[in-house]
Amino acid sequence: MRVLKIHPEKCTGCLRCELACSYTQTGTFQPAKSVIRVSPFEGHTSYAPYTCTQCAEGWCMTACPVGAITINAAGAKDVLDDTCVGCKLCTIACPYGTMFYDPDTRKAFKCNLCGGAPACAEACPTAAITYEETATLDWLGDFAHERTARVLVGGRGSAS
Amino acid sequence: MATRHLIIGGGTAGINAMRTIREEESTRSEITLVSAERPYSRMVLPYYLDRSIAESHVFTATAKVLADWGVKTHLGRRAAALDAKASVCTLDDGAKVEYDDCLIATGSSAVRAPVPGADGPGVHSFWTLDEARGVIAAIKPGSHVVMVGAGFIAFTILNSILSLGATLTIVELAPRILPRMIDDTGAKLVEDWLTKHGVTIRTGARLARIEDTKGRKRLRFAGASDIACDVVIMATGIKTNLDWLKGAGVTINRGIVVDDRLRSSVPNVYAAGDVAEGRDLISGKGDVHAIEPTAQEHGRVVGSNMAGKDVRYRGSLIINIVEVCHLDVASFGAWDDNRADAAAGLRADRPAYRKLLFSGDRLTGAIILGRSGDIWTSNDVGMLKGLVQTGVALGRFKEHLKKHPFDVKPAFIASRTTHTLLPETILGRPSKAPGDTPVAV
Repeated sequence: MRVLKIHPEKCTGCLRCELACSYTQTGTFQPAKSVIRVSPFEGHTSYAPYTCTQCAEGWCMTACPVGAITINAAGAKDVLDDTCVGCKLCTIACPYGTMFYDPDTRKAFKCNLCGGAPACAEACPTAAITYEETATLDWLGDFAHERTARVLVGGRGSAS
Repeated sequence: MATRHLIIGGGTAGINAMRTIREEESTRSEITLVSAERPYSRMVLPYYLDRSIAESHVFTATAKVLADWGVKTHLGRRAAALDAKASVCTLDDGAKVEYDDCLIATGSSAVRAPVPGADGPGVHSFWTLDEARGVIAAIKPGSHVVMVGAGFIAFTILNSILSLGATLTIVELAPRILPRMIDDTGAKLVEDWLTKHGVTIRTGARLARIEDTKGRKRLRFAGASDIACDVVIMATGIKTNLDWLKGAGVTINRGIVVDDRLRSSVPNVYAAGDVAEGRDLISGKGDVHAIEPTAQEHGRVVGSNMAGKDVRYRGSLIINIVEVCHLDVASFGAWDDNRADAAAGLRADRPAYRKLLFSGDRLTGAIILGRSGDIWTSNDVGMLKGLVQTGVALGRFKEHLKKHPFDVKPAFIASRTTHTLLPETILGRPSKAPGDTPVAV
């Protein structure tokens, strides 16, 4: 299956992925509704986007009491709006923290790979997000470990 | 002859078990379901109460789905006795069902406060679909509803009651609300928030009796003034439905004691969900969780094992989340462990509270309160669950989290939690979508 591969060292923190995501997902440029989120590291000197891994368990999907989360043609776990009641069980079941809840519509929402043409990858000007046939890995772990550790040692969170 | 599986109980555990049997089996088996009610999801009843969904939306395995799965049904029937030696279950209509293996997933029932008048007219429980229908018929715009009990179940229908235009008073015996879900600080924040949203809360209230006066209900308390109202809802706890199993030779402690394959003391009898006393992921000890996610995982593990696979269950994690008036309230794992190394953070500028509990450099429990519209609330709820579920070694990020409990994401990512999570599955294989279960041909 094609997945979103994140190349954190290429991310400049421009947030175009968030804009593109929200526009494709909701029809408005509304980064607050984006399901890919750029996080700062190292005291805002480096950045990396973070989104659903489309994990094998599908914790959101198996937790849903009404079968409102299914697998779409792109292989992504996808919320069926008509079936979702907004009980939020998926938001607490997802151990990656990549489920979202919209209090206005009272529905859960998440990355569905835009049905096979992910807008974030298309919009990224530095190819920090690519859509590839590859196994999903922890793209950010080592990157974040190194950069966050530097801040912890020298900065506000210094502890060890 | 095809293996004969008997599923007793059509709730979350039973439905997941049947589905998983069909997904996993190599040769077609015979499945019989005994269920007192048509299968539906209790989780969504609050949304039926506030009319945001139709009643038809609550049903999980409809007659068509059960037919597709090739399940023989005894709906409207209860199991009355189990002869574990002979592998025969007797139903309440006298019918006998023989089985090769059997799942007990009979769930729980609501219990009411033991006071005079608790069973009178206008006094409701909100647990089954029938009880939900009763509450729906009773609440009118302008009704004054009194909820007895301020636990998780009560809170799941709080929004619905308010959205129907009723006024709500909550009375709780304990000195504070949500005594088994969050700590004192969190409870105070939720109480203030609800009061601000027009809910009246009376804690430390000892209900003495419920009387009828002039077509209304009157609640009398020991040492406090009466409350008159139109509708009383008793959310005073649940008990496991296991009375019918007495004398069957299945070991019962607080629930049916099960091993890591969810087998009871009788090898061809499994238990799942509210009636099962299974391994707690954090403590490693047996516990009855009685929550939806545990029933779901239990059901799938049992289904896989019944289908001939050998799936070990690593244990279930207590997770609870409820939204009240756009405030998310969630807790996980060992959130109430007094001996844990804990850190808390309370925001002055908005309703937000965190408590993180550690054992060594691992997160073992958490409490999180925040506005449901705030993205970091939803996302952090998930990431804290991931940290508790994986038990990743946080190293120096533990100190970071203790100092900055609202800054979860860097610690989550930098601890390579995703790397630990990616291979994790409950059944040892990728999950199938809800509609992908093989159907009978």
